[in-house]
Amino acid sequence: MLDLILCVDDDPITLMLCKMVIKKAEFAKELITAQNGEEALNYFDDLKLNNLGNEIQNYPQLIFLDLNMPVMGGWEFLDSFAKDDYRESFKDCKVIVLSSTIDPEDINKAKTYPMVLDFVSKPINKEMLDELKKLW
Amino acid sequence: MKNKANKITLLYMLFSILLAVGGYYGLSSLQDNSNATFQNYSLIKDFLFIIISGIIFKVVLTRNDIRNSRIFEKLQTTNEEIKESNERYDIVAKATSDTIWDWKIQEDNFTWNKGIQGVFGYKKEDVGNTSKWWFDRIHPEDSIKMSIKLYSFIEQKTEKWQDEYRFQCADGTYKYVFDRGFLVKDEHGNAIRMIGAIQDVTKQKEEEQRLKLLETVITQTKDAVIITESEKQNKTIPKIVFVNPAFTEMTGYKAAEVIGKTPTVFMGRKSIKNDIAKLSKALKGREEFKFETLNHTKDGEEYWVNFSMIPITNQEGEHSHWISIQRDITEEKKQEKEKEQLIRELTQNNKDLKQFSYITSHNLRAPLSNLTGLLNLMQEIPIENEELKEILNGFSTSTNLLNETINDLVKVIIIKDNPSINKEEVLIKDVFENVFNQLSYLISLHKPILKIELEKVTILNINKAYLESILLNLFTNAIKYRSPKRTLRIYVSSKEVDNHIVLIFRDNGIGIDLERNGDKIFGLYQRFHNYSDSKGLGLYLVKSQVESMGGSIAVESEVDKGTTFTITFKK
Repeated sequence: MLDLILCVDDDPITLMLCKMVIKKAEFAKELITAQNGEEALNYFDDLKLNNLGNEIQNYPQLIFLDLNMPVMGGWEFLDSFAKDDYRESFKDCKVIVLSSTIDPEDINKAKTYPMVLDFVSKPINKEMLDELKKLW
Repeated sequence: MKNKANKITLLYMLFSILLAVGGYYGLSSLQDNSNATFQNYSLIKDFLFIIISGIIFKVVLTRNDIRNSRIFEKLQTTNEEIKESNERYDIVAKATSDTIWDWKIQEDNFTWNKGIQGVFGYKKEDVGNTSKWWFDRIHPEDSIKMSIKLYSFIEQKTEKWQDEYRFQCADGTYKYVFDRGFLVKDEHGNAIRMIGAIQDVTKQKEEEQRLKLLETVITQTKDAVIITESEKQNKTIPKIVFVNPAFTEMTGYKAAEVIGKTPTVFMGRKSIKNDIAKLSKALKGREEFKFETLNHTKDGEEYWVNFSMIPITNQEGEHSHWISIQRDITEEKKQEKEKEQLIRELTQNNKDLKQFSYITSHNLRAPLSNLTGLLNLMQEIPIENEELKEILNGFSTSTNLLNETINDLVKVIIIKDNPSINKEEVLIKDVFENVFNQLSYLISLHKPILKIELEKVTILNINKAYLESILLNLFTNAIKYRSPKRTLRIYVSSKEVDNHIVLIFRDNGIGIDLERNGDKIFGLYQRFHNYSDSKGLGLYLVKSQVESMGGSIAVESEVDKGTTFTITFKK
């Protein structure tokens, strides 16, 4: 079981579903959510500020990231999150893109980011999480 | 001849002297010598007379002789001349290959020289000797016009006679001839004889017609043709010597307005601005040159023109003229522009539509995935209320159907958007195994009799996922539309035919009425049977997938007998 994961999605139902499925699959002990890329980035910035100079111990091991979101979408978040300062601080944080998109270009694009583990079609389900668990 | 005159003179003189001497002696014997002096005197007078008359005789005779010989000589030379002229006539007739005819009009006797054999191929014995034979061989279209002219000449209404007509050869073909004749008249001025010379002008006539035909190319073409004379010094722009009617039509300038002038009259500086360097280089180098430009007519109207110039050389190989052809391409240019505009619009539309379909499908899929996820979660929660249970079951079924439909649509969108998909070497056997794994539940439920004949190593260069989807669709269709009257049999085969791999998929199901639905069978949202779970998408998807891999699909079906699909892929 993972300690902490982050779900980024603007749809509250999706977030609710994530929480329920993750709980049921016993995938993670703790789950936090963000409504868009900006909120997610703010969360990571806060983590850095609170641990100035120190190594950050407790940060999400995995992010479930939606692509289409208001304010800041998934791509923009990934672009920022791929930068060195985030990479250094949160080097063990992986990303799963969880989207309803069918555009093949999106799928290919997702794979170009080093921290992206996979591109997964919604909805999130138990079998999917069981597979993922094996990676930890 | 002179001797003869001398002889006659001498004979006359001898005879006269004899007569005179005889007379003298006769008289002297009759008479006495009293008149001897007178007799002697008389004898001398006789001699004198004889000599004088002899001399006169001689002179007259000699003169006569000379005249005679002159006449004779003249006759001889005339004869020679006639002979020579006859020979000359024969030679000339031969050299000009003229056929000469001679017509004695009153007797209607017609004679031909050898040309009638040589030029027209008639045998000597076949050549007739009347004017009818001649007239009969004149082309029917020419004979009336020709005979009118001929008779008005014979009746001496016209001065000259010459005519062109077609004359039939021995083999039935016609030759164009040029015939000229003159009349021989008697002392009363009546025409008694006509002599003519026929010249074979078939070649000239054909050449003339060919040239006329070639000329029509220039005069009738819609392209403007301009011929310019090349300047010796090559310093000035060549001057126009000819323009065709199309030129006037195109530019608005009449031939008289441009001949003798340079093409700058109708082609503005602005029009050749872009090509001027290349143009003057081509002019100097006497090279072929082509360019397109926007030009103006005399009235100032714009037109697009494709201008090409070709240098022409004379027989000595010296550059003599330029032939320029101007083609009005305004319409083409307009169409080209319209086409470009249309392509731009279509591309934009297509892009928008593609974006629209992705967004729509995303926006449809997002809430749908929530529904599916929630329903999945719900399945594990026991529900006491039977009514609610039924409601939720219906809810679940509908959601699943909606999900499948949208997934199929999404597949279609992706296929349509990616005309070139990734192909790989696929062992057809592997694909079948995969498909059967996915269908194991349906197969165990309906227990169809499967007969599968795959040629040993059938490797297809196609997209594996597509082939799986195609087979899945066909299998589920076969199961879905099986006949309740008999056990379902499915026959699948793959074999190589020439350069193609042919997949045959046959069932004994309820079939499709192809006469009614033949053109719709692979259409989108076409449903042929009243089944609640049929979405009218399967075969459309199959066809799209087959075609996106460069293959083709055909169907044969008979109601209540079964359906056969034949899929062909290029190897």
